[in-house]
Amino acid sequence: MLATIVDTQALLKTIAAAFIAGVGVTMIFSLAILGASRFVDMARDGRPAAAIAFGAVGIAALLAAGTAVTIGIIVMTRK
Amino acid sequence: MQNDIVLVIVVATALAFDFTNGFHDTANVVATSISTRAMAPRLAVAYAAALNFAGAFISLAVAATVAADVVSADAITPTVVFAGLIGAISWNLITWYFGLPSSSSHALIGGVVGSAFAAAGPAAILGDGVVGKVLVPAVVAPIVAFAVGALAILVCYRVIGRLRPGHVGRGYRLGQVVSGGLLALAHGTNDAQKTMGVITLALIANGTLAEGANPPTWVIVSAASAIALGTYSGGWRIIRTMGTRIIRMDPAQGFSASGAGAAVILASSHYGFPLSTTQVISGGVMGAGAGKRISAVRWGVAGNIVAAWLMTIPAAAAIGAATYGVTRIFGTGAAGTIIVSAAALALVATAFARRIRAGAPVPAP
Repeated sequence: MLATIVDTQALLKTIAAAFIAGVGVTMIFSLAILGASRFVDMARDGRPAAAIAFGAVGIAALLAAGTAVTIGIIVMTRK
Repeated sequence: MQNDIVLVIVVATALAFDFTNGFHDTANVVATSISTRAMAPRLAVAYAAALNFAGAFISLAVAATVAADVVSADAITPTVVFAGLIGAISWNLITWYFGLPSSSSHALIGGVVGSAFAAAGPAAILGDGVVGKVLVPAVVAPIVAFAVGALAILVCYRVIGRLRPGHVGRGYRLGQVVSGGLLALAHGTNDAQKTMGVITLALIANGTLAEGANPPTWVIVSAASAIALGTYSGGWRIIRTMGTRIIRMDPAQGFSASGAGAAVILASSHYGFPLSTTQVISGGVMGAGAGKRISAVRWGVAGNIVAAWLMTIPAAAAIGAATYGVTRIFGTGAAGTIIVSAAALALVATAFARRIRAGAPVPAP
């Protein structure tokens, strides 16, 4: 009865996307903070290779987070 | 002439609802940012107001048919819309008075359902629509947001566990500015359009616009302005509840709650399963608290919020039905709407005056 009233497909997709996007974006942004923070620490400790590696992680994560925000705005404009 | 007077009152009431919507729901967007000091209070509400205004112009697919899935189109008259709006405004102000976040959309739906029921009886209510479009999402939204918020904060702590608090705090505060901005845009897009739709519906019912017409520019601009002004006015009581009374937030929790909230709202928009912004953010805040430590959540405050959610639709419906009944006592002309709107204005002024005398919370300078 309820299944005929509720669009269960849309509901399940919404729940799955909410988990992937919510947890995914939080993790990506946390990685960006981790990368930036470790980059500063490693550079100060005179470990350039590690600093570059963490810097790259930070930049990649920041770009991914920026992409997620852009996708969010596109979703809003297209609904 | 009588119809035009009713139309003007309906338009003014719809804009008043839009103002209370912005005023009431500001907390959803800014509470976490203010609480973690990501932004100064006044700057945060100004930022949210600007993005709410912009959001109203982003997409003009009229979400206005807020009541179309739950009430039979034949039952919709300007007086029904007016009474429904009064029900929604009243409930928004009652929950603001007590500092409780509740869904403005549910209040509007409840108000219109109640007034349509009073006008045309139970046949006017589309039961499937009420269950499928309102009740099920109302149960799903807070549970999903709670789970996502809880999982998100666990991931945050796992990733940044041993980092220096200074770097971490600055990073998450910056993230909150962006995720709060997304929330404000989404809120403007969703909620300002509901008001645009209500006004457009009234204009069509009055014969001012043709059937199926899009909202005129003055409707779009006035709805966007009303929600932005309401947002800028800031519902500080609800901001305090959301920002500090449910949990004491650190920047990571603030980001998890607002980031997870924005993701849940946008995911639901994408799949056409719209969820209440208020319920999503409240659930996200509770989840971000419980993910850190179950006892970090003040469950008494959370219980009051859930009680307000449960009461929103029936309470707004009861007020909407009563308003319709009182309006019709004065006949089918404009007299009823004029008298009821004057009485509503007086009640609102009294409520504000009482609250100001009692000392409404104000933002830090």
